[in-house]
Amino acid sequence: MSDAPLLAVSDLHTTFLTPHGPLPAVGGVSFELGSNETLGIVGESGSGKTVLSRTVMGLQARTNVEISGSVRLHDFEVVGASERAKRKIWGTEVAMVFQDPMTSLNPVLRVGKQIDEILRVRLGMNRAEAKARAIELLDLVGISSPEERYRVYPGELSGGMRQRVVIATALAGSPKLLLADEPTTGLDVTIQAQILNLLDDIKERLAMSVVLVTHDLGVVATRTSRIIVMYAGRIVETGSTRDVFYRHRMPYTRALLESSPKVSSPAHTRLRAIPGRPPNLLDLPAGCAFAPRCPYATAQCHSERPELRESDEAGHAFACWNPLPVTQGASA
Amino acid sequence: MSETRTPLLRVRDLSVTFGHRRKVSAVAGVSFDIYEGETLGLVGESGCGKSTTGRALMRIVEPSAGSIELEGVDITKKKGSALRQLRTRMQMIFQDPISSLNPRRRVRDIVAEPLDCWKSVEGDERLALVNDLLTKVGIDPEVYGNRYARQFSGGQCQRISIARSLAMRPKLLICDEMVSALDVSVQAQILNLLEDLKNEYGLTLLFIAHDLAVVKNVSDRVAVMYLGKICEIGPADTLYATPEHPYTKFLLGAALEADPDAPEHREVLAGEPPSPLNPPSGCRFRTRCPYATDKCQNEEPALEEIVPGHQVACHYPLSISLERA
Repeated sequence: MSDAPLLAVSDLHTTFLTPHGPLPAVGGVSFELGSNETLGIVGESGSGKTVLSRTVMGLQARTNVEISGSVRLHDFEVVGASERAKRKIWGTEVAMVFQDPMTSLNPVLRVGKQIDEILRVRLGMNRAEAKARAIELLDLVGISSPEERYRVYPGELSGGMRQRVVIATALAGSPKLLLADEPTTGLDVTIQAQILNLLDDIKERLAMSVVLVTHDLGVVATRTSRIIVMYAGRIVETGSTRDVFYRHRMPYTRALLESSPKVSSPAHTRLRAIPGRPPNLLDLPAGCAFAPRCPYATAQCHSERPELRESDEAGHAFACWNPLPVTQGASA
Repeated sequence: MSETRTPLLRVRDLSVTFGHRRKVSAVAGVSFDIYEGETLGLVGESGCGKSTTGRALMRIVEPSAGSIELEGVDITKKKGSALRQLRTRMQMIFQDPISSLNPRRRVRDIVAEPLDCWKSVEGDERLALVNDLLTKVGIDPEVYGNRYARQFSGGQCQRISIARSLAMRPKLLICDEMVSALDVSVQAQILNLLEDLKNEYGLTLLFIAHDLAVVKNVSDRVAVMYLGKICEIGPADTLYATPEHPYTKFLLGAALEADPDAPEHREVLAGEPPSPLNPPSGCRFRTRCPYATDKCQNEEPALEEIVPGHQVACHYPLSISLERA
């Protein structure tokens, strides 16, 4: 527990064995995360961001999946660990918040019982202690009249409230790392802002690290210190949030930023769409996976896969043979 | 915007009520106009009635009150063949592109379906028209025309839906969350395509979506809905720059901009929309509005024009209350 990072992922591969051949959902990902840090993982559907977070958590099913590489949470190696061993870290070291707050909760158990469970089973509290702590947690996540809400069923709560309950459940074991996979995707904008503020606030108060997995660049822009951009199962660019937004070198990062409409742009602004669509993971190109859609692709891009390499800024790396020139950021 | 222009679609006091014993007014008296060639964006959070409004215009759900005039003709009373005829003038595109298309039919037949229903064109002419539509939406008819809908991705299915909706040359296209299910890179392609087709076919659009940035991108004017009512309608750029209704202001404040330097709005709207089963008296937003007074509780604000082309339903529009302050 000395200087080692909280989370160290190295050369992680998660491959699904499908009837059509191996599908490399995560194809060699390495990154580290320190204490009290918020990391954003951004990508479109099929980029491997969800499989990556599930693999880090150790939730990936065993059948028809091959996992190699390493995921170290402090001193614990997640890859290859038994279910029994992983249960020791789930909740107390690492916890996860999923996208759909309805299916994350048991519809026939009262909300309070679901928070109690971890407190009693994992922390060995008795019934009264657990109840008191569960009510405290409901209060912490901003649920009004927590004593009453302790007794309701998930179906009686709105989507935003359910997501708060899921967060309370995740926080019950005081984890050091919280993985949030699209925590606000099904929610309305005003509720989304409430939940993101809540996560930020809790992270500060409990000195946790948070990994925010999302497709929405708006979600990570102001709430993360570092960002990983994924494409076709690999990291294509990573760096401080400002480097990724303003000094990105990988054409995909730029394309992703430029293709999303902005509230601040005038109406009828022509969007710079990326032609084509993400590659089929069963049939990845030999070179850079983005090459078929990239305006700067050369013969090398189609034949050789670029590895992540360091840029001038510390901690900023990108995987590209023909990176964009260094700019001092249009808006910086 | 000249006063003499007649709107293509004129909606007055449109209401839609669901349920038998416990009635929910999903849309509670909505009025707006859409002029020929413009795009009206309709934005709001889930449950505000924006989709129901779109569906009521198509008479997929029956309006319980109010009038809908398309090109000067009230369509709320139309039945049978007259209603069918009318629907060729307006078409709708739905959120889920994959379930909008029959997976077991060939792309060409899906696009030709409206033509076949009306037997408007047949034989070579039909084929030529279908091929032309597919080309316009960026799908090569020679390569993909005979494939089945299930073989396409979400973005491509949405392109096919657009081609089908254009087959009868409608005047009005109602797009209900048509890009919400798509990835940003594909979403941008579809939004650009929609702008191009709008110009080429001279379409008028009602663009319903929850995403504020997407709505602004395509709209000339924007209407904001809350709990079954319209709070504010105005030109897109003005409404986003200087919202007059407090709800619009908070909604815009909650939108996340993909820019680390974007001004942060930590002033977040508390609470959640009340149940439409039991809406608040007076202004429906007053329970969450920091500026609400007794007047807001007792009197429902009407949608009134405060500057030409900009209408607000609020007793204390923001620009005016600022002047007073």
